[in-house]
Amino acid sequence: MSALPEFENHGKQEIKYSTCYMCACRCGIKVTVEDNKVRYIQGNRHHPINKGVLCAKGNAGIMKQQSPARLHQPMRRKPGTERGAGEFEPISWDEALDTLSERLQKIRETDPRKLAFFTGRDQMQALTGLWATQFGTYNWAAHGGFCSVNMAAGGLYTTGFAFWEFGDPDWDRTKYHVLWGVAEDHASNPIKIGLEKLKRNGGKFVAINPVRTGYQAIADEWVGLKPGTDGLFALSMLHVLLKNSQFDWDFLVRYTNATQLVVQTPGQQGDGLILRDDNGNPLVWELEKEDFVDGSQVDIKPALFGEYTAPDGRPVKTVMTLLAERYLSDEYSPENTAEITGVPAEQTERLALEMAHVAFKESIELDIEWTDSWGRKHDKVIGRPVSMHAMRGISAHSNGFQTCRAIHFLQIMLGSVDCPGGHLSKPPYPKHVPPGIKPAKECAPNTPLKSPPLGFPTAPEDLVIDGDGNPLRIDKAFSWDAPISNHGLMHMVVTNAVNGDPYPIDTLIFFMANMSWNSTMNTAEVMDMLRAKDDNGEYKIPYLVVSDAFNSEMVSFADLVLPDTTYLERYDTISMLDRPISEPAAAADSIRHPILEPDRDVRPWQEVMVELASRLKFPAFTRDDGSRKFEDYKDFIINYEKEPGIGFLSGYRGKDGQSHLRGEPNPKQWEAYIENQGFFMYHLAPNQQFYRYANQDYLELAKHAGWVGKTDPITIELYSETQQRFKLAGQGLYDGPQPTKQEHKDRLTQFFDPLPIWHKPLEQTRIDEDEYPFYAINQRPMFMYHSWDSQNAWLRQICAQNYLYMNRQKAESMGIEDLSWVWLESHNGKIRVQVKLIEGCEPNTVWTWNAIGKQKGAWGLKDDANESQKGFLMNHLISELLPKKGDPVDSITNSDPVTGQAAWYDLKVKITPAGPEEEGSWPQFDKVTATPGMSESPDQLRYHAHKPVHLNRDIRDVLTRGSLDKDKN
Amino acid sequence: MRLGLVIDMDTCVGCHACAVACKQWNTSGTTGPLTDYQPYGEDPSGVWFNRIRHYEVGDYPNNKTVNIPMSCMHCDHADCVTVCPTGASYKRPEDGIVLVDQDKCMGCNYCAWACPYGARELDREDGVMKKCTLCVDRIYDDALPPEERQPACVITCPAHARFFGDFDDEESEVSRLVRERGGVKQMPELGYKPVNTYLPPRVTRPIPTDDVRANTLVSSVKDWVNKMVAR
Amino acid sequence: MHPALSVILFTVTSGAGYGLFVLLVIFHLAGVGPAMSQGEVIAHGVGALGLITVGLLFSTGHLANKKNAWRSFMRFKTSWLSREAVFAVLFYPFAAIYGLSVLLQGPEIGLLGMIAALIAAILAVIVLFSTGMIYGCLKTIRQWNTALTPANYIMLGIATGSAAYAAIASAFGNATAMHAGVAIVMLLIAAVLKGIYYFWISKVTGPTINTATTFNRATVRLLDTGHTAGTFLTDEFGYDPSKKTTSMMKAGVFLLGFIIPALLLAAVLAGATAVTAWLAVASALIGVGMERWLFFAEAKHVVRLYHGDQHT
Repeated sequence: MSALPEFENHGKQEIKYSTCYMCACRCGIKVTVEDNKVRYIQGNRHHPINKGVLCAKGNAGIMKQQSPARLHQPMRRKPGTERGAGEFEPISWDEALDTLSERLQKIRETDPRKLAFFTGRDQMQALTGLWATQFGTYNWAAHGGFCSVNMAAGGLYTTGFAFWEFGDPDWDRTKYHVLWGVAEDHASNPIKIGLEKLKRNGGKFVAINPVRTGYQAIADEWVGLKPGTDGLFALSMLHVLLKNSQFDWDFLVRYTNATQLVVQTPGQQGDGLILRDDNGNPLVWELEKEDFVDGSQVDIKPALFGEYTAPDGRPVKTVMTLLAERYLSDEYSPENTAEITGVPAEQTERLALEMAHVAFKESIELDIEWTDSWGRKHDKVIGRPVSMHAMRGISAHSNGFQTCRAIHFLQIMLGSVDCPGGHLSKPPYPKHVPPGIKPAKECAPNTPLKSPPLGFPTAPEDLVIDGDGNPLRIDKAFSWDAPISNHGLMHMVVTNAVNGDPYPIDTLIFFMANMSWNSTMNTAEVMDMLRAKDDNGEYKIPYLVVSDAFNSEMVSFADLVLPDTTYLERYDTISMLDRPISEPAAAADSIRHPILEPDRDVRPWQEVMVELASRLKFPAFTRDDGSRKFEDYKDFIINYEKEPGIGFLSGYRGKDGQSHLRGEPNPKQWEAYIENQGFFMYHLAPNQQFYRYANQDYLELAKHAGWVGKTDPITIELYSETQQRFKLAGQGLYDGPQPTKQEHKDRLTQFFDPLPIWHKPLEQTRIDEDEYPFYAINQRPMFMYHSWDSQNAWLRQICAQNYLYMNRQKAESMGIEDLSWVWLESHNGKIRVQVKLIEGCEPNTVWTWNAIGKQKGAWGLKDDANESQKGFLMNHLISELLPKKGDPVDSITNSDPVTGQAAWYDLKVKITPAGPEEEGSWPQFDKVTATPGMSESPDQLRYHAHKPVHLNRDIRDVLTRGSLDKDKN
Repeated sequence: MRLGLVIDMDTCVGCHACAVACKQWNTSGTTGPLTDYQPYGEDPSGVWFNRIRHYEVGDYPNNKTVNIPMSCMHCDHADCVTVCPTGASYKRPEDGIVLVDQDKCMGCNYCAWACPYGARELDREDGVMKKCTLCVDRIYDDALPPEERQPACVITCPAHARFFGDFDDEESEVSRLVRERGGVKQMPELGYKPVNTYLPPRVTRPIPTDDVRANTLVSSVKDWVNKMVAR
Repeated sequence: MHPALSVILFTVTSGAGYGLFVLLVIFHLAGVGPAMSQGEVIAHGVGALGLITVGLLFSTGHLANKKNAWRSFMRFKTSWLSREAVFAVLFYPFAAIYGLSVLLQGPEIGLLGMIAALIAAILAVIVLFSTGMIYGCLKTIRQWNTALTPANYIMLGIATGSAAYAAIASAFGNATAMHAGVAIVMLLIAAVLKGIYYFWISKVTGPTINTATTFNRATVRLLDTGHTAGTFLTDEFGYDPSKKTTSMMKAGVFLLGFIIPALLLAAVLAGATAVTAWLAVASALIGVGMERWLFFAEAKHVVRLYHGDQHT
């Protein structure tokens, strides 16, 4: 072999490990640095999330660091200029922090809820939530309300864990995987790694999605159903399972509330609630004793089916009886659901039975000894190797909560919950159903909230409403509009604040939230609202603070801009108190630490929050003598304890760094994480890895680690009493707060149900569906998912213009040509877009890539960039309120009536060809101007960490080599 | 040795990770930098060695989406090398990697014309042809841990759809995969004998349902008789 | 293929130059036709070398890294481009010896001059053949990958060269039926050859989007190229003239390239002025320029299959 030159000067290079932040997936990265420049970012092969691989976004981190859109210094809106004009003047950090803390101080002293603090694509809700709690405002939430609250809530109110961050398919053992409504994302690398494992193991992959791109490309079977009908499809499969008696009887009896008895007294208080003894324990019918007994006991033989008369004379039925009665009904037969879902009856039936076959005829048995919650030892775990994953396509519909529950019902019927080959939970989950935290209901001057702003209501008493039933939160979360809005309704904040409904606010802080563009519904009008002034000429949102690292569309609306760092320039935690990086068999959390020195006058938002908290003397950040408790964010992370021994980071605790999960603060904790490649992993013993809802060894560990409050077994709730309580409130049969307005009563009675229902997405019930015949949905491409990255010079080369994709045959039947421009119109407005015809799209559906379209000039893009000239946002067509019909419902959020999840997949549209002269995307907006310090975006890029070392061919070889054919073979 | 890649079309989800990893490694690699034109303007483009193309096979509703990553195939009969007038393009006898000597190329594009797979891209700024080097600047670097001495695209692939190895070694993973999965070549009729090989989508096993079908379907709750199952 | 102007100008002018040179040597050495003066031989020679040299200068126009152009002689062993370069350069010393002989000895040159002239003429044909083979050897472009390609290059060079020869001769008042007749015949042969070529390439063969993607049992359609804008590949291979343009150009090729020059030369035969012959040359060069444009524009590289073409 000819000698090779030394291509890399390893002596000059340094390897650092951190956590990626190009999306929300939180992969481990190994970064090679040379002269404060990144040579190479690769996946960390020891990291639990990505195991060495890295996606397109992660590989483009260099270009994020190079972005010309990076903000350079704190700025304020130039006095005398209009908000939104983007005219800023640089100020010092001292001035910025003085101005802000002074203002916040006043708010906190008077009416803390006048501060609304909402965060977008961040991963530090433990800190931002703590900050809001300490400030004393319940007007805080992150972006979950328009992202995935339906998935979280659907799971946490059913199995105690959920999809993605709280649970994962058992990719190593599953033999059959059903993917529901997952575009190209959520999660990124773990799903790709998992799907490959499944396929390598000979498993079957079924994809349920109106669009066949992304993961659906490699599906063994594609179910291209109509958007928003997944719930009915799931319940139809449930029908098939019941019809064929295919359900896990033992599992239902042991771990779920299927045997519990439900009171059947329609029209009376208490109807539909679980029959309980005087101690509140649920009663079941004991088959041997032929009597009612406390159903929380073990070694009893409860009836799964049956109707009985309670000792007090009320008729009762088992949960399973109610469930079977409902879903055996012809309404759910595959033949009858086919027209709505678009899935042929044969396919629905076959898929349900295939799952049953794999679950019950190809079960797995692992010889693992484990102890159940009642101290009984078992010598094996049984696996039902059918797994599922679901995300945005389920979540972003107004029936998403119910649909998510319906999907969990399939898992429960198959017994594939936290068992080998099934859907596994990830520490700190599962939690008790639902988790025990209630949302804060009161704000008082200079006083922290009594509980976090967000929580899990189980009854109308838990709502955050005043005595008259009016919402107390600015986003109207936990009100009759959306009682179980566990993640808040970020998408309603601007509208409500501008309308002063329920009240005006003073200051709005957005962190990493592009609320004037792709992270809002009804974009054009929201932009106007952000600029709106009252009769006195004052802005309706008096003070708007934006923290972001880049010149996003939102920045230009700020009164104060606090520039953040990039992910390679700061300390950060992916905390066990928030959404850690755990895997099913290991609890894990991780950090970021500075890889590069910032070359701008920017500060991480974490530091700013700790600084503000200290200045404002939040109790948790202040010593008894009034001095600040934490020097900075690093110090805060080391020393803050939520409860004794529990902090943001769970690893390497204790003075010696040897206590994990719980332990005293360790002053060298950061160093320990850095030394351990930026993460900590606590491996669960085999006997702690399954059936964790009733696994003694696991639950004891979970209690020790602060993941659960008690070691009681977690009962999987097929029947949701929470749902029934709200339904009763709607019916006027609840002994507690009840809605007064008819529209609220209607919503509670129609959309709350203790057993999953399917209903038409709300928008579709308030428009003329003949006029708007097409479903319109968004997805993110894999190389852009959650990456907010049109400023990324490499990623935008892959796609800088989104098209409206539609089914080729359908388009041809309408005379719509490939690449022609069309008008797309909804009840809320119209946009002009370019069409691309494809095969893999359900004929009644059109779709596009979300967040490719950009406002001119934003993100450091030039005026002629494809993103602004040809790309578009579907958001303009989506209203944050329900379609107007002239009734009181007009002012209700366009969201899931249960959880407040933004229903941005409910959209329906019509399509008409654009005129011959009509080209380019519409609407267009004023240009976003560059902010001070930003340099002109270059016309050419030639990024390199060092001069290339060329490999030269020997000149003798050039002159003497003959043809390859002779050379070779 | 005959080094090359195996690409699994059964698991490639078309995420472009390999393409960007390639761009990232190679822009600071032996043939870097890889110029980008109008990176923030209209019609951004640049020099890439690996591009992912997406196709649809069959008509709706019998359609399947297929993602095909393509880079240099390091052909046995590499006409790009044969036609090169300067000798800048060559195929290394020791491992079969096709390379362009950046200091000898005159930028005539002729090699790109001879390549059926679109593997070569001219860097207009440097005036020379650039292409996949199979990460020759990684795979022999003893300073890297052994498991990282692979092309950047292979290391990064989240769907484990890319494999690197010696096709001359019958026991290598790539040879085994090609054998077991019936590896296919693109445009074999042209006779280039590309080394890179594609694995076609797998055919799923049929899953029986007869054994879970009830003889008589349940029509009402009353059809079930309670079992004595202890909680 | 993207028709690069530099390559069109190069092949058309140098092709005519080599053709002219070959004709000169044939007429001069074989002594067919009326005897030539020294001045006329020199005029033909200078014309030929001028066309060749200008053409070769054009040829470097498409090089992105001209400083390495000298390296193009290195791979004579396998590369037709290298061979073309080598033969093109090799032509010059022999042509120079011939030229020097004419300068020193007048039209009646000695054996050395005659041998040099003959070798130079053979090299001229070889250069034309090599140029043709540059394209003809590419399996990636079925429109080029045929023996008709070098045949066309040689014949079109000879045909345009013969027209030029007739024009120069007529400028010397030496226009004979012989010169014009040869030119007409050459033009007509070239026209027939070209006609055969167009017929040949109209039949679709070779790789398809199916063999390119390996999916052979169903319709394959491009969903996305995976890039926002054009790339080097689409710039180079993505040229897509309309059917109307190519049809018009094709008509132009026959009309301007062959028919009009032949008619004009026939007029010369019938006694028209020398200018007429020059018009024939101009027309032929424009026509062959259009032919060369079409040669590229109609060539469909197989990479296009990956960008969505069903076949080439």
